[in-house]
Amino acid sequence: MNLFSYAARNLRRSGQRTCIMIGAMGFAGAIMIFYAALLEGFIMTTEKNAIGMETGQVQIHVHTYLDDPDIYSQITSQDEAMAKLNRLGYHSAPRLFAFGLAAAGSSSSGVMLRGVDTEREPLVTGIHQHVKSGNWLDRNDPTGVVIGQKLARIIGVGLGDEIVIVGQAADGSMANDLYRVRGIMKSVGEGIDRAGFFMIQETFRSLFLLDEGCHEIVVVPSKNTTKSLDEMTAEIRAAIPQYEVKNWRQLRPVLARIIDMTSASLVVMLIVTYAAVGILTLNGMLMNVFERIREFGIIKALGMPPWKIFTIISLEAIMQVSIASILALFLAIPLSLYCEIHPLNLSSLAPDSATIAGIAFDPLWYCDLTSNSILLPLFFMFLFTVLAILYPALKASLIQPLKAIYHR
Amino acid sequence: MNRKSIVELNQICKIYQQGKLQVTAVDCLSLQIAQGEFSALYGPSGSGKTTVLNMIGALDEPSSGDVIIEGKTLAGMDRTALSRLRRDRIGFVFQAYNLVPVLTAYENAEFVLALQGVPIRERRQRVMSILEEVGLADLADRRPDELSGGQQQRVAIARAIAPEPAIILADEPTANVDSATANGLLDLMENLNSNKGVTFLFSTHDQRVMDRARRLIELKDGKIASDGVSP
Repeated sequence: MNLFSYAARNLRRSGQRTCIMIGAMGFAGAIMIFYAALLEGFIMTTEKNAIGMETGQVQIHVHTYLDDPDIYSQITSQDEAMAKLNRLGYHSAPRLFAFGLAAAGSSSSGVMLRGVDTEREPLVTGIHQHVKSGNWLDRNDPTGVVIGQKLARIIGVGLGDEIVIVGQAADGSMANDLYRVRGIMKSVGEGIDRAGFFMIQETFRSLFLLDEGCHEIVVVPSKNTTKSLDEMTAEIRAAIPQYEVKNWRQLRPVLARIIDMTSASLVVMLIVTYAAVGILTLNGMLMNVFERIREFGIIKALGMPPWKIFTIISLEAIMQVSIASILALFLAIPLSLYCEIHPLNLSSLAPDSATIAGIAFDPLWYCDLTSNSILLPLFFMFLFTVLAILYPALKASLIQPLKAIYHR
Repeated sequence: MNRKSIVELNQICKIYQQGKLQVTAVDCLSLQIAQGEFSALYGPSGSGKTTVLNMIGALDEPSSGDVIIEGKTLAGMDRTALSRLRRDRIGFVFQAYNLVPVLTAYENAEFVLALQGVPIRERRQRVMSILEEVGLADLADRRPDELSGGQQQRVAIARAIAPEPAIILADEPTANVDSATANGLLDLMENLNSNKGVTFLFSTHDQRVMDRARRLIELKDGKIASDGVSP
């Protein structure tokens, strides 16, 4: 007779209750793994939309640009800066910005014109793959522009339609020209959706009479890196000290907070769920102890030390939570993997996309099953089970044999 | 020849507080049990038999006086030491058998040996020989719910004698069995006493036990009313 076998037999003794407890813990575990995978998916999609489509990991500007985005606040030594970044193992792409008015027919809307380096931009963002209809920019089509989906709706244009742009060129003259819509973007974020107007860099320069320089350099690591975001920022800042270097967390604090809160909400949900499951476990284990109180008295009278009784109760709980974990994995992994390919479709709630604080959230909610989404719920399940059994295990182990033997 | 004293009770009292009332369960009782005795405490309900047995078994402590087992005073021993004393030197046979329901007859009988850390091989030899002795070798793999009351009590006796304790305390061991089974159990315990020198102290109402006991100690109101060799 060893303690493990003794504990296992005790579990079989109240088979129905054991099954209910394992089932409840397993189901809660499965739900939480699935929920964690959904949140990971949400974070991944949000980061992909915001960082992978627009912001990049790190951005470089002249010091005054972010506070006052002026057409004259340019990075003049962009080639030198990008060469340095390349040597450090980063991809980078220059961007140009200017404000203007887009008009089509009798409608008009303020836009932010974006001059894009069509060769370098795909290295830092995936925006070129985020076209809802039509095509991305092409250097062979200098008058072809890509616009945000809400802008297209506001000014009532579709693919092939013409748009007039009016703005102020760098020399103070009026910049205006006629462009043709060659692509309409999927939702990226409120800024791009409502005012995004993409054109190739050369066209931008010609419209605004900007021969050189850029307003922004977007930077991402060229390969998978173990460096943290802060380390990358510090490294780039040290390499290019003359410009302002900020990472996406500093540039988009609201987004960073939403992502942090989403991660924190998982922990809160885990605590709430497992506190409930913990009460069930506590209840079950207390019933278990009270039913066997006489037996504990006998085995203590026969000389079993308290720690062995504590171990028996703990082993019973650990066995139950281990089986529940396997059950949870068995239920949650296939479900989460299925939802990695077949997302939950929330488009009936938000037809195109929902935006919160200017950040677009995809109505297709994918799961992202990571080691974190599996291990964190299981860790909490074990933690709360251990906490829940402490009281019954201590009660059983510290029981006075005489009182227990004559317990009625 | 003077036999070695296993149990010595010196002026022990046990007073329970029941609300504002003090109940004296054992009243300044002194007693000695020598090695190899086959003795019985008897008396009416509430006379203090079980309380005395519990104090000898280190399950309860006296309000005053000393309990001495094999020359060691129990007063002042910590829980661990008392637990070890029960495990190694005292065997218990309870009225309601009190076997562990999830363990087989063999496992119940080896329970205390396993706690003592006796090696598996030696354990097996000793337990099988004892089960043979109590007539349960063929039923070693059965669980308590697959055994009759008498068989369960035999397993309890096997469990009590397996670690070769100094004394076996048997609290109404024949109370829950029929007459034939009770006689069988008493035969078994008598044989163990005669052949192996196992010391038994019973607490009983049962005339059959009193008929077999070689020393009868009558308790009345927590005091020894009579103590003598059985005729």
